[in-house]
Amino acid sequence: MKKLKGSVKYIVTILICIVFLFPIAWALVCSVKPEADITSYPPRWIPDVATFANYAEVLRKYPYMSWMKNSIITAGAGTILILILSSLAAYAFARFQFKGKKVLYSTIVAMLLVPIQAYMIPLFLLCSKMNLLNTYAGIILPSAANVTSIFILTSFFKGLPTELEEAARIDGCGELRIFLQIMLPLSKPALSTVTILTFIANWNSFLWPMICIRTDNLKTLPVGIAQFMGSVNSNAQFQYGTALAGCCMAVIPTLIVFLALQKYFVEGIASSGIKG
Amino acid sequence: MKRKQGRVAALFLLPYMIVFTVFRLGPSIAGLFIGFMKWNIAGIPRFAGLENFKRLFTDQYFMISLWNTFKFFILTLPPLIIFSLLLALLLNQKMRFKSVGRVVSIIPFVLIPAVVGIIWTWMYDNNFGILNYYLKEMGQSKIQWLTSEKVALVSVAVVVIWTYLGYNMVLFLAGLQGIPHDLYEAAEIDGATKVQTFFKITCPLLKPVASMVITLTLVNTVQLFDQIYVMTAGGPGTSTLTMVQYLYTTAFQNYDLGYGSAIEVAILLILVVLIKLQNSILKVDEEA
Repeated sequence: MKKLKGSVKYIVTILICIVFLFPIAWALVCSVKPEADITSYPPRWIPDVATFANYAEVLRKYPYMSWMKNSIITAGAGTILILILSSLAAYAFARFQFKGKKVLYSTIVAMLLVPIQAYMIPLFLLCSKMNLLNTYAGIILPSAANVTSIFILTSFFKGLPTELEEAARIDGCGELRIFLQIMLPLSKPALSTVTILTFIANWNSFLWPMICIRTDNLKTLPVGIAQFMGSVNSNAQFQYGTALAGCCMAVIPTLIVFLALQKYFVEGIASSGIKG
Repeated sequence: MKRKQGRVAALFLLPYMIVFTVFRLGPSIAGLFIGFMKWNIAGIPRFAGLENFKRLFTDQYFMISLWNTFKFFILTLPPLIIFSLLLALLLNQKMRFKSVGRVVSIIPFVLIPAVVGIIWTWMYDNNFGILNYYLKEMGQSKIQWLTSEKVALVSVAVVVIWTYLGYNMVLFLAGLQGIPHDLYEAAEIDGATKVQTFFKITCPLLKPVASMVITLTLVNTVQLFDQIYVMTAGGPGTSTLTMVQYLYTTAFQNYDLGYGSAIEVAILLILVVLIKLQNSILKVDEEA
């Protein structure tokens, strides 16, 4: 009886994994089929021939490598900027006493409730005045005003012991040095959490980059890939094979980052419950 | 000492505060004012009073988008609570490969939503999609997943559920692991059955998590855009038109910035009111 119950658990777990992996696996399989086979009937899981023709087609027809480069630059620089700005500010909130701290902190946290959809028109006007439209900075700077990271890092810094810091201060160590040489090395787990949460959020970001960028060569991957769809671009000669190949290449970087840092990702969700 | 700390704190805070004020706080506040303007991108903005906000109430497209957003919420919330809780209960047991199950179920959440939209559109394809193929194999008739006004909203809701299930599972899992073990031991000594333990101990103690899941689902539904934009662009007809999709069309395809800002303000207000409402309802319940 107990053994039976045990195997039921495994079967259910396997079924659940199939549900989550099925669409991804099917996309992968179809991306290596020749275009004629994709629409063949009945659909087949194991193609007669595997070919990278669709991948070559994406790279030939679209500035795909430019999109990839733009995504890496904007998501990467955005994440680095968030790490620098947020850890400095969060440290101040956690460790210093100053006037107006409570008001400032609650203003920042209150902005968690205000998604970019609620202020993208003023942001668009601002960026157009500052000549930031159609630039990397136009994508990076708004993403750097990140609130989740402040939230996560402030509570982490609050939990660190104060003894080390006080000893260093007595030894005449400057505040910036205390922060850089003592606090930051202790904060690797929290910084990893922030890194993975913000990198994935930046990499997946769609609406603002679409509004900000007009030139095809400067688009990020999600925006570029969306053009494959008939619902978006009615002129597109829509081919599933090419679209799926483009999709598969676009998710590889996120999957690598996710699998490498998934422990921190899970902790990040569990502790904040809020997406970047 | 305190004064010196203030100066140091200011230096630490300054870089973030500049970016935050210029690119987030400022625009959020400015949006409230633009809503009072008649502002088409080509023309000069002029004061329009409450005109834009009044228009919201008579604009049938806005009302439809509001109603659709509500339908998405009602359709996705129950599965996102029940299935994620069941998944968390399963993956909280002692068994091999449970960490594999946890990692796999979060993968949909980390994929680019636009990509998720394309992959599902392919599976939903009327003629060549794998879902209709399996339906036919089972002797059922084909479903017009994304091209029927009746089904499209449900089809997109399925994608949303698929995306967020694993994410919510992690929240419930954290909640489950936070319940002190002695409570279960005490219940066992008292002779409580597993079902009793679940409903009398686990459920009440998971209420904060459930409340968080509701809030997140609210926020995500109100923001729902990427998948819709790729899969249906709000169609067929207006059957999957959401508030953000309508906002995008108004502001960035028809370039009516004044009215767009009014929609933005409405979205924000709805979000804040619903979250407050939800928090107070759950709290009242707790005291009762």
